Amino acid sequence: MIVPMSVVLGLSAVLFGIGLFGFLARRNIILMFVSIEVMLNAVNLSLAGFSWHLGDPRGQILALFVIAVAAAEAGIGLGLVIALNRNKPGAGVADLTQLKW
Amino acid sequence: MTLLSIQTIFYYLAAASVASALLGVTRKNPVHSMLWVLALFLHVAGIFLLLGAEFLAAVQVIVYAGAILIFYLFVVMLLDLSGELTRPRFGRHWPFAALAGLSFVALAWFSRFVDSVDGRLASTEAVATGIPESSTDAGALQGSVAEIGKALFGPFALPFEMASLVLLAAIVGAVVLARKRIVGP
Repeated sequence: MIVPMSVVLGLSAVLFGIGLFGFLARRNIILMFVSIEVMLNAVNLSLAGFSWHLGDPRGQILALFVIAVAAAEAGIGLGLVIALNRNKPGAGVADLTQLKW
Repeated sequence: MTLLSIQTIFYYLAAASVASALLGVTRKNPVHSMLWVLALFLHVAGIFLLLGAEFLAAVQVIVYAGAILIFYLFVVMLLDLSGELTRPRFGRHWPFAALAGLSFVALAWFSRFVDSVDGRLASTEAVATGIPESSTDAGALQGSVAEIGKALFGPFALPFEMASLVLLAAIVGAVVLARKRIVGP
């Protein structure tokens, strides 16, 4: 065992917190998506850590599915960004208020 | 390689990934943010290598860093984001966001001591899944690529095929959303 499991989990928690902060604080919709990717990476890290800790490859397989879903999410999300950009230039979430009233 | 140098590499990768994640979510220029997040993905791939997940590390580099992030970069360059540099990067509510992130980290940090993950979790899980505890040593996943392949095409064949359907739906959805609509008569 090279490092304690709790160190891996702590690193994963810190990365997830950074991603959460980025998602909540940024105003640019693309950077909000990137923050989601940071959070997904943190989760993958703890999945790989558990897989290594328990000697079980299923954690890595779950992480692979997370990556596949992240790819799908990126495709759909950026397609939506391009479609939104056609109506209103820029990528600020504060401008997207057509559904508010 | 000695254990100490492997630990040094791990702590370097951990520190560098935290630093590049922080820089990635706080830089003003979106392209700089993307490049910092690219550094984060490569460092996390290094951690995957140390954790014996070679296939995951390769997928992380090829799919995440090579495909998804380049896709993000293309979209950033496709849109005109020059206004981004003059506007505030965070909303006015950013202290609450920082509070949320910090409280999540604190929660996870303290909860990992509750059950003493290093000791009891390993033994209880070993009982529950029938994995002998000796297999929790480093290097237990020798030949993990072969194991992952067998599992993906064996017990996980259905989820694997479902993932291809999800990706197909995403491709079709992205094309439908992003194509230019020609207004006809």
